[in-house]
Amino acid sequence: MAQGRAFGPRESKNALDPKLIRGLKKLLGHDAVLSAREDLLLYEYDGSVEIARPECVVFPRSTRDVVEIVRLARQFKTPVVGRGAGTGLSGGALPRAGGIVAVFSRMNRILEIDAENRRAVVQPGVVNLDVTRAVEHLGLYFAPDPSSQKSCTIGGNVSENAGGPHTLAYGVTTNHVTGLEIVMPDGRVVRVGGKTSETPGYDLTGLMVGSEGTLAIVTEITLRLSRAPEAVKTLLGVFDAVDDATRSVVEITRRGITPAACEMLDGWTLRTVEDFVHAGFPRDCAAVLLLEVEGLAEAVEEYAAEISDVCRANGAREVRVARDAHERDLLWKGRKNAFGAIGRLSPSYYVLDGVIPRTRLPETLRRVEEIGRKYDFRIGNIFHAGDGNLHPLILFDPRHPGEFARCVAAGREIIQHCIDMGGALTGEHGVGMEKNELMPLMFSPEDLAVMTRVRAAWNPDGLLNPQKVLPLGKGCGELRVLPQTVGSALPA
Amino acid sequence: MNGPSDTQLTRLEQLLGAARTVTDSVSLIAYEVDGVRPAAAVRPASAAEVAEIVRLAVAEKLAVIPCSGRSKLAIGGVPARYDVALDLAGLSRVLAYDPGDLTLGVEPGIRIEDLQRELAQHGQFLPLEVAFSDRATVGGAIATNAYSPLRAGFGSARDFVLGMEFVTGAGEAAKSGGRVVKNVSGYDLHKLLIGSLGTLAVITRVNFRTFPRPAETRVLVAAFAAHGAALGFCRAIANSPLEPRVREMLNPVAADVSGLAPQFPADGATWRVVISAAGSAAVVTRHARDLERMARDAHAKKFESLAGAEAAAPLRAVREVVRLALERSPAATILRIALLPASTGAFVENLSAIADGANLDAAITLGASGTAYVALLPRSTRWADTSGTSAVTGSGTATDTASGASADGAESSFAAAVKQILESVSNETAGGRGFVEWCPTALKRRISLWGAERGDFALMQRVKTIFDPDGVLAPRRFCGGL
Repeated sequence: MAQGRAFGPRESKNALDPKLIRGLKKLLGHDAVLSAREDLLLYEYDGSVEIARPECVVFPRSTRDVVEIVRLARQFKTPVVGRGAGTGLSGGALPRAGGIVAVFSRMNRILEIDAENRRAVVQPGVVNLDVTRAVEHLGLYFAPDPSSQKSCTIGGNVSENAGGPHTLAYGVTTNHVTGLEIVMPDGRVVRVGGKTSETPGYDLTGLMVGSEGTLAIVTEITLRLSRAPEAVKTLLGVFDAVDDATRSVVEITRRGITPAACEMLDGWTLRTVEDFVHAGFPRDCAAVLLLEVEGLAEAVEEYAAEISDVCRANGAREVRVARDAHERDLLWKGRKNAFGAIGRLSPSYYVLDGVIPRTRLPETLRRVEEIGRKYDFRIGNIFHAGDGNLHPLILFDPRHPGEFARCVAAGREIIQHCIDMGGALTGEHGVGMEKNELMPLMFSPEDLAVMTRVRAAWNPDGLLNPQKVLPLGKGCGELRVLPQTVGSALPA
Repeated sequence: MNGPSDTQLTRLEQLLGAARTVTDSVSLIAYEVDGVRPAAAVRPASAAEVAEIVRLAVAEKLAVIPCSGRSKLAIGGVPARYDVALDLAGLSRVLAYDPGDLTLGVEPGIRIEDLQRELAQHGQFLPLEVAFSDRATVGGAIATNAYSPLRAGFGSARDFVLGMEFVTGAGEAAKSGGRVVKNVSGYDLHKLLIGSLGTLAVITRVNFRTFPRPAETRVLVAAFAAHGAALGFCRAIANSPLEPRVREMLNPVAADVSGLAPQFPADGATWRVVISAAGSAAVVTRHARDLERMARDAHAKKFESLAGAEAAAPLRAVREVVRLALERSPAATILRIALLPASTGAFVENLSAIADGANLDAAITLGASGTAYVALLPRSTRWADTSGTSAVTGSGTATDTASGASADGAESSFAAAVKQILESVSNETAGGRGFVEWCPTALKRRISLWGAERGDFALMQRVKTIFDPDGVLAPRRFCGGL
């Protein structure tokens, strides 16, 4: 994603021991280890506003390789951070404390497709959409569909517990993972869960998914595949007022209709997207709702009719129904390429991921607008309205002194509002290094103490993805001095 | 085993007062677990009181078992120690309910039936229809990850629990997850508590996503002469676009134990499949029509479509089958097995052979989500061919033929059958996982309830140590003696 950087690159103060680099090269071959400065530049960013440069990048080909990497790293007390496609939006794959980044692009095989049991076993580097492509001829698909699904990897999805538009009806990544192979920081390989829908014992798979690489490194994933629906209908509700759109979402939810997806784009965002993608969004409206209903033909017909009624009753000027697969794809192309489109207009943007109870959508969007005015920022809104997962995009220019700090302050105010509404800090992007200092807004010291103990028990030396998820405090067993980051730039 | 001293009991009583501290031995019978009677039962009314009790237990080295409806308290290993029953029946409030947002936060002691009644007033429900429905509470259903036939349509608790508040074994009041339908902030610690039998923490609040009640519900019962045909029918449904909320297959013994066979007699037909379809009139009609055709294609002997009050009975039968098996014989031994769909046919055949070999009856139910229940019962004269693959021939009441044999002999056959079943489901080709959910205490002492130890056991031990470092919560009741 095209973005400006909030901070200049950090020069590493902790060059790796040459013996470690030699050891890694001996283990993986010269073509699987990068340590030259110009090579490392590519890996200092992800989809977030964060930045942190590794001292070494490695490309494991097997679980065995990962085990050896982890062992060597431990010997040299060096952090290891996993990375898939680098599309993450919270700095999860960035080496905040420096060290080794293990890129999973060469562990990208689908190991097994078990159609009868509706499972696929894949390596972490497999691209999300490739799973669906590999099974669609069997009438199956993999439900979680992050906007970056053409490039993001299953390993990253699992680490961040990624969502996507269609998780409204089908759940996020954790609801579609039944088992994992993980490498512990001491190099032990452990299998948790399996192909069955439940396993006696504590739900370690449930703990691992969304733990952002801070407990163990995932090397194999068993996925649940879903059966493709019989019918799909995609609708576009066009509104002249944002409030009318948000009230429609509240009413759809209240009536107990669960669309497969319910996305909202505000007027500014949809115009920006339209100029780039030409998806057919009307440029002169204040908001659109992109809704999809799936399932039995009978149910789809009824829900589509009811949704149209709700939208019209709440002031929609028009409700369009996609006539064919082409029109449908175009509408989704507009939605899924939105961030890229905005990147053409603004040197940088800061995307938030707060969640609110869906009944509070109208007042929350008004509050977001107020905060934008207060801090003098354009804030675009394109988000998963159906599950109350907001993605306010604060456009800023990092070249203007102080603008980034102001942007972060505005972001914090929005997040505080979400939490005051009974919501959450992050719905699908993860905490990473971007929001770890915001965790106390949602969790008490006791909550965080238990989470910290969990991490300390699994990752005792703190070498796996250090300084992520939990606030940096004393006694966390973390390594090294942290660089300047968004998180640490925030007021306490 | 030394119980708590009088001084310790006095300290406990000082926490909540005599009115909410039970110490007389007759009242305490109701709290027994595997014949072990606690020295006291305490009834806190708030999470803060729960934390105080646990902290006292840590300080005084007392073992605590949380409970409320006590319908599933027998699940789990024989407790290593058991001093205090922590009765959560007093924590039974709805703390937050936002019908417009379809989210709910409740205390653990609330009875599921009471909660469902409240949700129904807003046209909603929780897909937690578990056995012992008159007593079952939210806390117990979550702590045992109780099976609900609605799993076919809504997934299990891990799919609709949004977050929890709990008191760890160290006495800390903590939480994880959230109250909104989507959230990835922090570790999902609450997932660890689902099915943990109270060995990690005492649940004090559960946040759920609720679901709208359907306009119409239709229950369809199909009967088949053999398991092959019934399985073929189930496979056809799984490969169709239909979206049933419940799909349970019962063998002849299970059909009889659950009361389904007497209610819906079918000549020469023994295996039954119960399906619930819900939604608008058009959706329900489509299900009924397609299912009838599929049943006919699978050579069903009978197909019934039930609506309204009639529809309740078969759903109750599949929900309560475990309870009814337990009521049928004190020797009943119930295994819960997670199966892969591809190995279901082999599972049924192996299981029938094992039960025959041990001279036991086996009531089998197979859910669409892959969860199977096997209730091993003393062989009755009722079923001429107990392999479960042919018709019911008798109609007399069950009589335990095993009752004449020595108790030890009967126990040995149960122990042998359990071992064989757990081994056969979990071997490489079958790929399933199973454990013993209920059995007599004497049998618990002879067998491994959880099957073979797996490679992730050391990590589970770490989890136990994090949450309950002093081992005060339900010691040795969980998997592998955790």
